[in-house]
Order: sequence, then C-alpha cells, then structure tokens
Amino acid sequence: MKKDVFAICVVIFLLVLIFSGTKIQSVDDYYLTHIDDIKEDSETVFLTIRCDTALDNWDDLDPALRYERYVPADGIILPRTEYVLRAGDTAYSVLDRAVRYNKIHMECSYSVNYSSVYVQGINQLYEFSCGELSGWMYMVNGVFPNYGCSKCTLSDGDEVVWCYTCDLGRDVGCEWGLMK
Amino acid sequence: MKYFDRLHPVSALAYFLSMLLIAMLTMHPVIISVCYLSGIIFCGMLTGYKNLLKSLAYSLPLTVIIAVTNPLFSHRGETILFFLNDNPVTQESILYGVFASLMLMSVFYWCKNYSAVMTSDKFIYLFGRIIPKLSLVLSLILAFIPKMKRKFREIDEAQKALGIYASKSYVDKIRSKMRVLSILLTDSLENSVETADSMRARGYGLKHRTSYALYRFGLSDGLFLAATLALAAADVVLIIFGASSFNFYPALSAVGFSALPCALYVCIALLGFMSFFAEVKENVLWRLLKSKI
Amino acid sequence: MALIEIKNLTFTYNGAEEPALSDINLTVESGDFVLLFGESGCGKTTLLRLIKKQLRPSGTQKGEILFNGQPVENMDERASVSEIGYVMQDPENQTVTDKVWHELAFGLESLGEKTDVIRRRVAEICGFFGIGGWYGKKTSELSGGQKQLLSLASVMVMNPSVLILDEPTAQLDPIAASEFISSVKKINEELGVTVIVAEHRLEEVYPAASKVVLMDRAKIFMCDSPREVGRRLSEEEKPHKLSLGLPAAVRLFNELGGKGECPLTVNEGKKYISGNFRCAVKRLETEQPDVTGEKALEISGGYFRYERDLPDVLSGLDLTVYSNEILCILGANGAGKTTLLRVLSGVKRLYKGKYRVWGKKLKEYSGNSLYRGNIACLPQNPRNLFVKNTVRSDLYEVTKLLGLNKEDGEKEVDEVCRKTGIGRLCGSHPYDLSGGERQKAALAKILLMKPRILLLDEPTKGLDAYSKREFAEILHALKSEGKTVVIVTHDVEFAASYADRCAMFFDGQIVSEAGRVEFFATNSYYTTAAARMTRPMYENAVTVELAAELCRLNGRGGDEA
Repeated sequence: MKKDVFAICVVIFLLVLIFSGTKIQSVDDYYLTHIDDIKEDSETVFLTIRCDTALDNWDDLDPALRYERYVPADGIILPRTEYVLRAGDTAYSVLDRAVRYNKIHMECSYSVNYSSVYVQGINQLYEFSCGELSGWMYMVNGVFPNYGCSKCTLSDGDEVVWCYTCDLGRDVGCEWGLMK
Repeated sequence: MKYFDRLHPVSALAYFLSMLLIAMLTMHPVIISVCYLSGIIFCGMLTGYKNLLKSLAYSLPLTVIIAVTNPLFSHRGETILFFLNDNPVTQESILYGVFASLMLMSVFYWCKNYSAVMTSDKFIYLFGRIIPKLSLVLSLILAFIPKMKRKFREIDEAQKALGIYASKSYVDKIRSKMRVLSILLTDSLENSVETADSMRARGYGLKHRTSYALYRFGLSDGLFLAATLALAAADVVLIIFGASSFNFYPALSAVGFSALPCALYVCIALLGFMSFFAEVKENVLWRLLKSKI
Repeated sequence: MALIEIKNLTFTYNGAEEPALSDINLTVESGDFVLLFGESGCGKTTLLRLIKKQLRPSGTQKGEILFNGQPVENMDERASVSEIGYVMQDPENQTVTDKVWHELAFGLESLGEKTDVIRRRVAEICGFFGIGGWYGKKTSELSGGQKQLLSLASVMVMNPSVLILDEPTAQLDPIAASEFISSVKKINEELGVTVIVAEHRLEEVYPAASKVVLMDRAKIFMCDSPREVGRRLSEEEKPHKLSLGLPAAVRLFNELGGKGECPLTVNEGKKYISGNFRCAVKRLETEQPDVTGEKALEISGGYFRYERDLPDVLSGLDLTVYSNEILCILGANGAGKTTLLRVLSGVKRLYKGKYRVWGKKLKEYSGNSLYRGNIACLPQNPRNLFVKNTVRSDLYEVTKLLGLNKEDGEKEVDEVCRKTGIGRLCGSHPYDLSGGERQKAALAKILLMKPRILLLDEPTKGLDAYSKREFAEILHALKSEGKTVVIVTHDVEFAASYADRCAMFFDGQIVSEAGRVEFFATNSYYTTAAARMTRPMYENAVTVELAAELCRLNGRGGDEA
C-alpha cells in the first residue's frame, strides 16, 4: 500500500518534470507570419538554402525523396534573401527565423559534443538521405566555419549559404572536410 | 489447441519461423496488420480468449506508449500536427510508431504462440534429431532444476528454524545462504550418485541407444509443412520483387492494390490465418462427429 | 532349476575389515515373493545390489550368485538390464528425466528398442498400472508416491523376470505405501514376476510374501514361510530384536507364547483372539494425560495461506501444547502438517489469529531469541542440517556459532552425544549414517541450541522398528528433563506407542485431540492395526503390548474352548 502511493507520487513528479520542460506549440504559433521589416538603418545578412549536390547524385537519393517538392529541379530550396540581423544572431538563428517564415520543414537537435545546435534535415532532406556521406553544412562569406552553427555569430552584410553535401563537404568546396 | 498439439514439431517450427520472419521483414502496414491480427487471434485460440484479453490489457497500452515515443525522436514527415520544443511532431512519425510497435507486438504474440505450442518435449525432440545426446542432457537438466529449487527451499527453512543465523544483519543473511548452498551442493552430489545408479540399472551406457519420440510425421503434417513452405517462399519472393515497398517518410505512400501487392497480401493472410483455420476445422469436425454420436 | 541361487556368499567391501555379508545361502524360485527383513545396516542392500550386475559394489566376493545357473557377474549386460529390475528407496533421485513418458521410455531407449516397440510397451505398462493420465506430465509435478510408482513402472516396462526392491516405501506416506505394495503384489500374482523386496514396513508385505528372510549382522538368521517365521520367532527364548517390526498379528502371537497357527493379517489376528481368548475384561485403566502444565505453545483461531489466491492451509486452528509433554499431530499426506510445523516454528506467520510461545506473542521475541534456548525444529530430511564432514565437527561448529569457547563447546558436544547415544558415530560422515543414526545425530545438533520445545517433522520416516524405539526412548529421556516435544507424523503405530497426547489435523483444523489410548480407541479407521484387530472384543488395546496384556488378563478360552 505504502509502496503504491510512493510509486504514484514518483510518476506524477516525473510527469510534471517532463511537461514543465516541454514547450508545445501549434503549427500557426510556430511559423512566423511576420518577419522584421528591413529599414534603411537595419543591419542585414543574406541567406540561401540549396541542395544541387543531391541532383548530381540522384541515384543515391532516397527514392521517397525524388520529387520536385523535396529536391527542386534548380537545387534551390530558399533563394538568396535578405534578412534583418538581430543582435547576437547566429547562422542557426537566422536559418530558424527564415524557415519559420517560409514554412520550410527543419529538424535540429542540440549536440552536447559540439555544444551547438546540429541541423539534421531541411525540407525533409536529411543527413544520410543521399548516401552515407551526405548532410547539411553552412558557409559564411564563402568559408566553411569549423564549428557549430549556433556558435557562429554573424555581422552586417554576411553571406550565409546552407548547402547539402553528398561527400562530406568535398563536393561543395569545403577544404577541412577533405583533411578529415 | 487440438491441431497444433498433434502437429509434428518440424511442421510447427517451420510455421512459426516463417511467420516470425515475415513479421520482421517489412514495414508495410497491411502486412504488419495481417501478422498482428492473425497472431492475436491464434493466441486467443491457444490460450483462451479470456487470457488473450488479459494480455491485451497489458500489450495495448504498451503499443500506444511505443507509438507515441517515436514522434519524440523522429520529426520527419510532411503533415505537421504541432511543435514540441521547436521540433515538428508529424502524423507520419506517429503512424510509423504505431506500425513499428504493431510489428513488435506481432513478433511478441507469435513468440508467445510458439512457446504455447512448442513445449519442452517438442523442443527437445527437435534438438534430439540433430544431437541425440543433447536431448537427453536437456531432459535431465529440466528434471534437475525443479528438484534443486525445492531442495534449496527445504534446506533454507531447516537452517532458519535451527536458528543459528536467524538474525537480521545482512552479513549473517549472506553467510546463512552460503551455508545453504554448501549443503545443497553436498546433498546434490550425494543424490546424483543414486540417480546415476538408477540410470545404470536401466541400461544407460549400453551401446546403440535409441531415442524415443512421441511424434510421427504423418500425411497432414507433410501437407501443413508443404503449404507453409510454399506460402512463405512466395511471400519472400514477392517481397524481394518489391511488392511490399512502402514509405512512411516524408509522406505516406499509397498502399498498392495492383496485382503483385494483392498477391502478397493474400499469401500472407493465407499463411497467417492457416493456423487459426486448422484449429477451427478441428473444432468443427469434432462438433460434427459429436452430433453424429 | 532355481532362478537365483546364492551359494556360500561372503562379501567384504574394499577397505572394510568385517564382511558385509557372510555365508549367505539362499534359493529363489521363479514366481517367489521374497521378503528381506533386518535392521538397517545388516547387509540387505549389499545383497540386493550384488544380484544386479550394474549396481554391484566393489569388494571381494567369495561364493557365487547364480542367475539361471550362470554367475551374475558373467551375465550379458543387456540381459542383466532387462531381466533384473531394480527399484531403490528414494523416489526423488530415481526419476531421471523431466517428463513421465520419457522416464517410462528411458530403459527401452537404452536397450536400443525401436520407436514403435517402445510406444507399444509404454502403452501397455500405462494400462497395467493405470498411470496413462500422467503420460504428458512433468515428473516434478508428481507426489512422492506417484514418483515411486513411476519408478516401478519404468523398470517393469523392460519386462524383467525378477524385480528387486530396496525399501521402496521408506519415503512414502502410509496410503501411498500400501498402494505401492499392492502394485508389487499384482506384479507378482498376475505376471508371475519374481519379487525380492527389502522392507521395514511389514504390515502389508509380510502376509503377501512366500518366503521371509530375516537377516541379522551380515548373516541370514532365519529363512522360511511367513507363518513359520512367526512361529519360530515365538519360540526364541527372549523376544528377538527383529520381532519388533513384524505385523501386529504376528507380534501379538509372539507375545502370547505362540500356540497354534500364526496369524498374519488383521483379520486373521481377530479370529485368533476371538478363537483363543475370553473377553470378560474389555478395557484397561490407562493414565489420562496431564494437561495442567504451563502452556508452551498456543494457537487460537489461526489462519494461514501461502499466497493470497491460494486456499487456507490452516483455517481457524486451535491448538495448545502443554509444557513437558509429547504431542503427536497426525494427519493425512498433504493435509498441511508440515505447514503447521512451519507456523509453530515461526518460519511462517499466521495472517489471522493469535500465536503465543510461553504466553508471549511471537513479535516479542526479537532477533533470533525465539530459536535460542526456546524452539528448535528437526526437519523432515535431517540431511538438510549437516554442514561438516564428520558428525563431531558438525556439532562442534554449532557451539562455535553460539559463541562458546573450545572447552565449553567440547563439553556441550559430549553431553548431547551421551544423551542421544551417538558417541560411536562421531567420526563418521553424516551422510554415511543409517536413517536412524542420522535422525539421532540431527537431534543432537538441535539439542545444542538448548531448546525447551522440540518440533519434529516425520522423525520416523524410513526408520526400522528398532531405531524407532531407540529414538522414542531418547525423546522420553528428554521429556523427563522437562522438554516439550511436538511431533508431526502419519506414523500411527509410533504415536500410539510413545506419545502422551495425540491430535488429528484435518482441513486446516485440529478435529480431535486426546490421550494416546483414548485417541486411537475412539478412532475406527485412522487407528493402529492392534486396535483394529482387537475390536470389538476389547475397547482400548491400541498397541500390541496393551492387547497382549488384555489377552493375558482374560485368559485362554473363547469360541473354541
């Protein structure tokens, strides 16, 4: 009897703990209907999301993803767009705002190893969806930073490109990917 | 459980193995549903529907729990229901969870059916075909374990009531259990001498020992085995030729109803429900015979 | 030609000085039912084992054992396996496999029979013994009596021409024992199989035997038909030690000087008494048990069950044990007697009802104070108690655990050895002792705990009549020291001879309790052979001694006179 009561208490405690740490949002709450307007004095960055490499490796691509809506024919998921740069913005936070505004699917997780956010998939296109060496990388002003996207603080006028690689970055021009 | 009770262990084993193989082979919703349904219906046949309900009372909540844990870890899929900690929870991943857990459950129920039908006798018989010595050893061990268990309890109680170590300290408890074990060991050694005598008195160790089997491979066993193997082979071939292709991510693909997939569904349904109908046939025959009497 | 012929057989175990068998001459004809009878350790088992080639002990043999004119040691292995069936004492150790069908098939498998042959023979044997219903069962689910019957069947399945049984009913309860014996009789009578059986419990076997062999200290002391043995024993100058174990009718005949034909069964005994003795005095005055003493153990309204969903084993049990008495609790097998003992010993607790030890609740005995100098329990199988390699070191270990120093410990051990009379056994391994000796050694061990109350579980199981008497004498000596003894048993004869009070346990309750004479005099079915034999002539002759006394009091006469 005592044990039962104790077990119930523990379960309730755990449930409360889980729910208090969980944020639940409806689809409408999550997607942004409005994004910061670009004013004359506002600092901005440019963001592009592209997956042309997947087009080059069509045979490796998961058959379920061989559709225009997942991998567009031109390889561009989000064309080059200018976004307002908020204070402390990182390559990740800008991407997050952009996909929310454009209602593009994205899945990411926090990686303890890199103490940074890791982007697993954008627009249903996931790491390993196109061969074992595939995944998402980002480039700032033509350079691939060798650290996590949520640690990469941006500054005015930066050019951010999220690109999908099918060969650990070698096919998108990343040098350090080659060294590893 | 009339039919499977009498079915030759080889046929029964082939049947269960092919059911388990097919249940684990694909994630196709129709195939999984058929495996699951045939599994639980046959389970009800074997263990009684009351017991089935009891086990469903546990297994259904478990199914639901497994189904809802999948979306926590997988956020793929187009149809987003809501966002959990900034990650999408999608209809596809929930459905994937449901079918993954149904697959798990159908494997569970088929294993349960297996253990209900394949008693230790049948198991030992199957092994005895391969290694005759081993089957006897297994039988000896299976006889020995309950004896040891009972002996342990007896000795434990005897020592407790002797009161040498009846105190509550843990050290004493461990020491008293060690004592019990040492007595058990001596006693078993002593007893095994007598057991060996009993075996020798009944001719153990003579050359040309045979192994008696309860089972005879009859015509109906052969038919059942042939049907099982034919259907299972057909299923595997159809699956290899892609009749069961189905994607959950990023969007559910349509369930195919062209010739090839339909043939596969029929084959699997036939295989899955074959056991059930064999039992039903047996019951009906019994009723008919009884009414004639 | 005789089936088995034993000529001038002397056998000495390797390393032993005294021969285990000396100068044995015995002829067994085909179809005989031979009963071997003697004190434990007189060489019965050695003799039986020597006949079966596979079980022959190692040692030096002089003389010969011929089976169908051929020495057994030269017999073909296969022939020896199938021709000579051997059933041992302990049903537990004899069942080898996990399933009944496999146990039955085991011998035939060894002989290399084909599956079809095995199937037919097993089916036949199941029919003969009426055990077809167990065919698919696990052997561990069978009771002791069923297991022993299975052992018998799995030997008989090989179609032996001789069946050897070594104390086959020693571990069985009376009902299972008499069922077993009647199966053996059936084998002898209906199949003509020769039976050689060594037994302590003679009430049923003795009349069925065609030849009784009395063995005493490695020799054959007497070998004759049952009636002749009964007559010849009565002619001995002083009552022979072995006559204690004989059936009640034979013992009564012995006690009364043995004139005329020796009765063997209860029925014959009845006729013998009514035919030869008057019945003017119907009863003897007997002492009433003293129930004024302190209450040692008291259970009132006790309920116990093992698990919530299982039925009650004790239901509304009321039992009082007075200090300084020997109480026998009798009951059928499986009635829950052992459970009752577990509750009394405090291993299991009642879920309802009161249990007091010396007027104090069980809870008030903290730690193991209940077992120190208070209650001690002798388990059914005394082997469960022994830890060390010799009796003495085993006893000595207890004193060490009790925290006594070496000198005191030695003194205590000497003391209990003297009390139980096991001084000469001190150097032996506990497992090498005979049943009676082992029981005494176990008793010595629990006496070291200096208990005031002794709880004994079936202490007479497998003991011969003489060991039983010795054991009872020790108990009486302990009682006169002020100890209280509670015995759980189904040994009716033992309870009738040595208890102060007896109680009948049935359906979770004590249904009747009284002084031993009154108890067995009022029972009509659950009572001793002596009581059944003397009724309705005499009212309370519950033991052979009492019956003999009554007969003597009344004097010869009766119907024929």
